[in-house]
Amino acid sequence: MRNFVLVPEALVVAGALLLLVMARARRRPRRWLPPSAAALALVALLVELWVGGTLATLFGGALVQDRFALFAKAAILLAAGLAIAVTDWSDEDAPSIGMAMVLLAAFGVMVIASAGDFVGLWAGLELAAMAAVVLVSTRRTDLGLRLLVVGGVASGLVLVGLAFVYATAGSADLQMVRKGLASESATLPLAIPVLLLMGGLAVRAGLPPFQFARLPVGLGASPLGAGMVIGLVGAAALVVAAKLSASLVPVPAVYSPYLLVVAAAAMVGGGAAALATRSPRARLAYLAAGQVGWIAAGLATHYRTGLGASLFLIGAFAVAATTGPAVMAGADVGEFALAGLSMLRPARAAGIALVFLSLAGAPPLAGFFGEFAVGAALAQSGNLWVLALGLLGGLMSVAAALGTVRAIYLQSPPDESRRAAGARLPVLTRLSTIGAVALCIVIAGYGLFGNPILGLADQGAEALGLR
Amino acid sequence: MILPEIVLASPSPAAVPGAGIFTSPLILSLTIWLPVAVAIFMSVIPNPRNRYDTVMKQIAFFTNVGILFILFVAYNQFQTFLPTVQYEEKLPWLASIGATYHLGVDGPGMTMMMLSGLIGLTSVLASWGVRERVRSYFCLLLLTQAAVNGAIAAHDMFVLVLFWGAAMIPIALLILGWGGPRREAATWRLVGYWGLGTAALLVAIMTAYAANGGGSFDMDVLLKATLSPRVQLAVGAALVIAAATRLPLFPFHGWARDVYSEAPLGVSVVVAGSASRLGAYLLLRALVAANPAAARLLAPFVAILAALTIVYVALVVIRSVDLRWAAAYLSMVPGAITVLGLAALTPLSIAGSVLSTFTGGLAAALIVAAAWTLTDRAQSRSLQVLSGLAPRMPILTWILVIAALGLLGVPLLASFPAEAMVLFGSFKTQPVGAFAVVAGLVLTAVALAALVHRVLFGQPNPDAPAVSDASLGETWYLGLLAGALLWVGLFPGGPKLPGTDQTVFDPGLLNVMAAGITDIASPYVASTTAP
Repeated sequence: MRNFVLVPEALVVAGALLLLVMARARRRPRRWLPPSAAALALVALLVELWVGGTLATLFGGALVQDRFALFAKAAILLAAGLAIAVTDWSDEDAPSIGMAMVLLAAFGVMVIASAGDFVGLWAGLELAAMAAVVLVSTRRTDLGLRLLVVGGVASGLVLVGLAFVYATAGSADLQMVRKGLASESATLPLAIPVLLLMGGLAVRAGLPPFQFARLPVGLGASPLGAGMVIGLVGAAALVVAAKLSASLVPVPAVYSPYLLVVAAAAMVGGGAAALATRSPRARLAYLAAGQVGWIAAGLATHYRTGLGASLFLIGAFAVAATTGPAVMAGADVGEFALAGLSMLRPARAAGIALVFLSLAGAPPLAGFFGEFAVGAALAQSGNLWVLALGLLGGLMSVAAALGTVRAIYLQSPPDESRRAAGARLPVLTRLSTIGAVALCIVIAGYGLFGNPILGLADQGAEALGLR
Repeated sequence: MILPEIVLASPSPAAVPGAGIFTSPLILSLTIWLPVAVAIFMSVIPNPRNRYDTVMKQIAFFTNVGILFILFVAYNQFQTFLPTVQYEEKLPWLASIGATYHLGVDGPGMTMMMLSGLIGLTSVLASWGVRERVRSYFCLLLLTQAAVNGAIAAHDMFVLVLFWGAAMIPIALLILGWGGPRREAATWRLVGYWGLGTAALLVAIMTAYAANGGGSFDMDVLLKATLSPRVQLAVGAALVIAAATRLPLFPFHGWARDVYSEAPLGVSVVVAGSASRLGAYLLLRALVAANPAAARLLAPFVAILAALTIVYVALVVIRSVDLRWAAAYLSMVPGAITVLGLAALTPLSIAGSVLSTFTGGLAAALIVAAAWTLTDRAQSRSLQVLSGLAPRMPILTWILVIAALGLLGVPLLASFPAEAMVLFGSFKTQPVGAFAVVAGLVLTAVALAALVHRVLFGQPNPDAPAVSDASLGETWYLGLLAGALLWVGLFPGGPKLPGTDQTVFDPGLLNVMAAGITDIASPYVASTTAP
């Protein structure tokens, strides 16, 4: 079974390369391509669930297959598959490249999930981010360039931080770093690089107040491109943060207070901004930013329950934030464009509604279960003030999400002349309908059948050495 | 006839013949998940050009009839001599944080479930006139009912907060989609206040969870843990805020006027009848039953809240110019009485509070529904226009009078034993609060008498729009609420065979309710008998 551990990665990379070759060979993609790409992600997910339970160390410890890797890979493959399925491919500028980039970004996260050292973490993060740059550039090169620059700054911060931590701990191996730091005390020279490192990851994850650099990109890109930036790249950064925080656990004082403050600001700021904006995609981006705050708060608890809860929430976040813009497709130019969508595209409308409510943390959807688990960890660690602020942000987020749900379900569709002015109705295909239904089932079922999922996330946190 | 029943209501549960023959481990889950499943089914079946709107209504109606039937079987088979939780279901849910899918009801819980079943059916009947987006409306109504049932049946704080919070979303959407002209303000006020309450509840739960070592959210563990008085006080204060936003109590009542006057009738009935009663149920379950030290410490403040609420309502109703607003404020009266009983912390007052939760739900729903229907039929809400309607609205006159009497707790109606038990049980331990509540009730009676006299028996207004009496459908749902108030008022211990003590058909709400109160009231027995 050990030999099959890398089969999911191989499938994803092979699929991405094949799609790139096909994009080079012909401009118009065939109709069977999106279902095939979604099926490939699904097959990779099934293989991962089948063989991923095998514990293995590969390439001399560079890649580690443990429960953490299994959880993160499964979540990201699910998000990628659903995103490909629900995307309105007629609204994407380069469908083959788009599918390839989604798969490559998913591969980047898979590398991070299995990474045993700093190199793997950095390489996976860069791969996911570069895939997003390419996809964004297919529609708006200026935004692609902007994302590249912002990503470069983030990458620089991460690299500097990693280099200093390496210098302090004497190793780039995550387990060795953990052991090395056990004998270190929390000093300012260690805190500063960790601060830079976390800052770089915060830029990548879109954690407020660092999301301002990335937000225009998320708003101007194609729907799938926005999903990549907000969801997949954010999830990649969060998985890196989870692995790093587990390694830094011996010296929590160097990152925990800082992360708690940023998390609290993100939870409240995300909710308030989501309430203030009327644009559906901007609202989704802010709701996602608020949920990133919850994930960061869980990581800051530096306990197994907190990290397990954060990992559980990363799964819910990855699915909702990646598929959210894609499932809205062209109907995201304004709230009026979503009006009455439940009558015209019922499955897609349900998917959008559940994505918004889940990102807002409304019960009984995936986001609520994750945020509740994080809340429990915060209470256990004595950070009730962060929990209280998070609940305030959550309240504003739910109110904001209700505004979008109202437009979808309770308003009449706009007339065709207004729709022609920019609010294009997503094309109805069998794949998009199946994808939207599957998305609804995943978001509703993630929490309702949360025992094995949270159990696996908890084992993932344990695999990182937390108790 | 009534007073012996009141005495029986003190914690001395007795066996009722025929109970416990039928039991099922899925009864409570059915009442939660059946409406959810039906709502999903309704949302996916084709409805071209709204052709099957009537079918949608019928599906919702028969679902509620089914739920009420299931609940009646559970009520009928409830073992009144057992103080423990019955119809228990327990499955692991989020095991790593100690959350379980744990359902179960004791006497007070069963009473609340019956209230929810009755209110659910009434709300569907009251919504029969909905014409727009019928499918969405009834789906959301069913989801609301599922959430309320879930919050009542929850025996794990995680499950409780899940359904407690979930109830807000369909209700908010129902008001936004089908409410009156000021629906936006009503919705955001509801979301704000209920959201604040949910946040307070979560903080309370998490504080108790952390103080208890973080092992479990199960009520059997979390609510029975020995917490320090300081933690108990913090938890108790947060619980009082959560309950006060939901019931509502002054000064957390900001949503009530707009919601009850702007929400569609069926939604107002659900909110006034069952969803808001969850506040009192939470206080009973999580504060009175679990944190005796905090309950004792907070009791004077809670009693003051109750007194302030009732006096405030009376004063506002006296000056009110809108019948629906007046009804909205009046619907806060039963909640205040319930809370006074919980603040008094005597076995009799606690039992009275449980009964008052049931009767108060019915009375509040009835006054809101009666006012809504009357203003609809009279084509005006203004008290300057509505006058002398009794000759032209005989049915609505009867209903409004019964609703007013139900609020005040006159004999023969179910609210009489409830209020009597609360007040008899409260004068000893909370004399100031009880006196203030009685004074407020007198003021409310004056306000109600003036209101009823003006609207129904005053000089007819020749300039008023044409009016008509309640239709047969409206009579049904109003009659159902009034009938339930009368039934429990006439037979609080259940109807008995002549010459025997054996109940027939209905084991008696007081008997069912009393199961479990012994346990809840046991910490307070000593304090009431001490010199």
